[in-house]
Amino acid sequence: MTSAALVHVVVSGLATGSIYALMAISLVIIYNATRTLNFAQGEMLMISTFVGWTALRVLSVPLVVALLVAVIAAAVLAWVLERTIIRHAISATHFDVLIITLGLSLMLRSVAGFAWTHDEFPFPSFFTNRPLVVGPVRVAPLSLGIIGASLALMLALGALFRWTRLGRAMRAVAQNQRAARLMGISVERVYSSSWILAAVVGAAAGVLIAPVVFLSSKMGLIAINGFTAAILGGFGSMPGSVVGGMLLGVLENLAPLYLPASIKHSVPFLVMITILIVRPGGVVGRVARRKV
Amino acid sequence: MRGAAIATGAVVVLGWPWAAPRYFVFLASLIVVNSIVAIGLNLLSGYTNQLSFGHAGFLAIGAYTAAILAIRASWLPLPATLLAAGLGTAAVGLALGVPCLRLEGLYLAMATLAFGFVVVEAILNLDWLTRGNDGLHVPPGHLGPWALATDTARYYLVVVVGALLVAAARNITRTRTGRALLAVRESEIAAQASGVHLAAYKTLAFVVSAFYTGVAGGLFALVVGFLSPDSFDVFLSVDFVAMIIVGGLGSIFGSVVGAAVITTLNDSLAGFQNYRPLIFGAILIASMLFMPGGIASALRRLPLLASQTPGSASRTPGSAPRTPGSAPRTPGSAPRTPRQGDDR
Repeated sequence: MTSAALVHVVVSGLATGSIYALMAISLVIIYNATRTLNFAQGEMLMISTFVGWTALRVLSVPLVVALLVAVIAAAVLAWVLERTIIRHAISATHFDVLIITLGLSLMLRSVAGFAWTHDEFPFPSFFTNRPLVVGPVRVAPLSLGIIGASLALMLALGALFRWTRLGRAMRAVAQNQRAARLMGISVERVYSSSWILAAVVGAAAGVLIAPVVFLSSKMGLIAINGFTAAILGGFGSMPGSVVGGMLLGVLENLAPLYLPASIKHSVPFLVMITILIVRPGGVVGRVARRKV
Repeated sequence: MRGAAIATGAVVVLGWPWAAPRYFVFLASLIVVNSIVAIGLNLLSGYTNQLSFGHAGFLAIGAYTAAILAIRASWLPLPATLLAAGLGTAAVGLALGVPCLRLEGLYLAMATLAFGFVVVEAILNLDWLTRGNDGLHVPPGHLGPWALATDTARYYLVVVVGALLVAAARNITRTRTGRALLAVRESEIAAQASGVHLAAYKTLAFVVSAFYTGVAGGLFALVVGFLSPDSFDVFLSVDFVAMIIVGGLGSIFGSVVGAAVITTLNDSLAGFQNYRPLIFGAILIASMLFMPGGIASALRRLPLLASQTPGSASRTPGSAPRTPGSAPRTPGSAPRTPRQGDDR
């Protein structure tokens, strides 16, 4: 294995890793606000990417507009789901909401099957796949583009959380809901906003990754790797999610080189179980001690 | 009246193979097998609030253990094979349960989900033992001189084992152990303060749950007669979760009802594969929003059965309506203070 080839593997690992990171971030956004896990995150990504693709095919709009359409579709979908279903279970335990989002994910995948069949479709990309040669190293602009776009999106999110009123409200709710409410923050609005924000991040991730993995109703399964990435980084931490996603992407791409090919598919799950058992707080985080 | 209901139930269950067509005998066996899994899962999720999305993995371990024993050690009597399937799976449950003590809620759900995937991959990779994707034919079991060659014979075997396990589960849940498990569910801190050894009981729930699922796996192998890894995918785990949600968390009776409902539904939707997830998803959401205690607690509220409440209340200590799903709330007018997250 030459080092040049290794660079190629690592770069494409970082590319899928940044998508995992985006998925992890959207899961964490909802988790921080509502303390629940959204099992339907992957299916929401899939549906909004399909909507963007439909705009592309039927109206033959440029790709940027398709991205916009996907993002808007995601926001609307998240808003509707949050208002009509999740909000009614808002005081329930995480157990309940987990089951509800599980039901949602089954339904959304089924609906996508009716609307767009369960086939795979190619999806155009902003970036070409022709390798860029720098000395002995060959990297795909597609990978670099995904990494760049994801990083830009992450920085934008960071800025939103740090400097906007909404971001501050969301951080306050994540820290202590009751105190946030007493400070005059509408916790319900934070719930809705976090669902919408998470869906928007997911839609962007979907449009970025669709050229690589093909567009299909099974695409939502990528959320499982998002879970793993979030756990790897310590669930609840945004920087942790980024680190976890990148780490998982690189590990997943490197593992087949050193391990028998047959266990390739188990790598994310083995990583998840190992991390949960060895360091439940994630590679960078600490476990929050619960006090009586 | 309760005695009469049980007697009628017993007559129906025992007489079923003589009244129903052959396929429905097979279906009934499957319902009993799934009931055993649902009871096992309920002991874990309904009683100690540890949600598992990996029970298809346990079922697969039990099924493959029984099948491989039946092929390679065919001299082993059938009860021993089933027991071995149960104990082997319980050992795996112990190995998974002990590290999982450190996890709760969402993390446990994710870890068990991952466990389910790893089991399927392991079956695919151990193809010298499991024949991987080609699948494994299970020889019909022998009980003494009788070969269990017909659906009816297998049905009676499954019913006997099922009845034993239901009785055992009722004994577990009605005694000290069951009360301790429920205390863990209601509040870990309060349970600990009352002298419940948290780690021991949570591990116990994991092991017992895995044992039930392992035995069910052994029966599944016999009833279906053919095993392949793709029949143990994550959607089967979701089906098991659906069974206990629909039937009622923390109720043995509910587990059986839920298993019957979901298995029958699965079977009748076999020709409409595309609609299946849609309907299942809708059922999951609806039962969480409108029927948090499942069918078991909905039945308990019926006036006809209200006279029995003392009896059925003792079946689910911790007194009826408070399943983990039904914190005091009414859909629509929810008091907006999520419990979790406040005390951080």
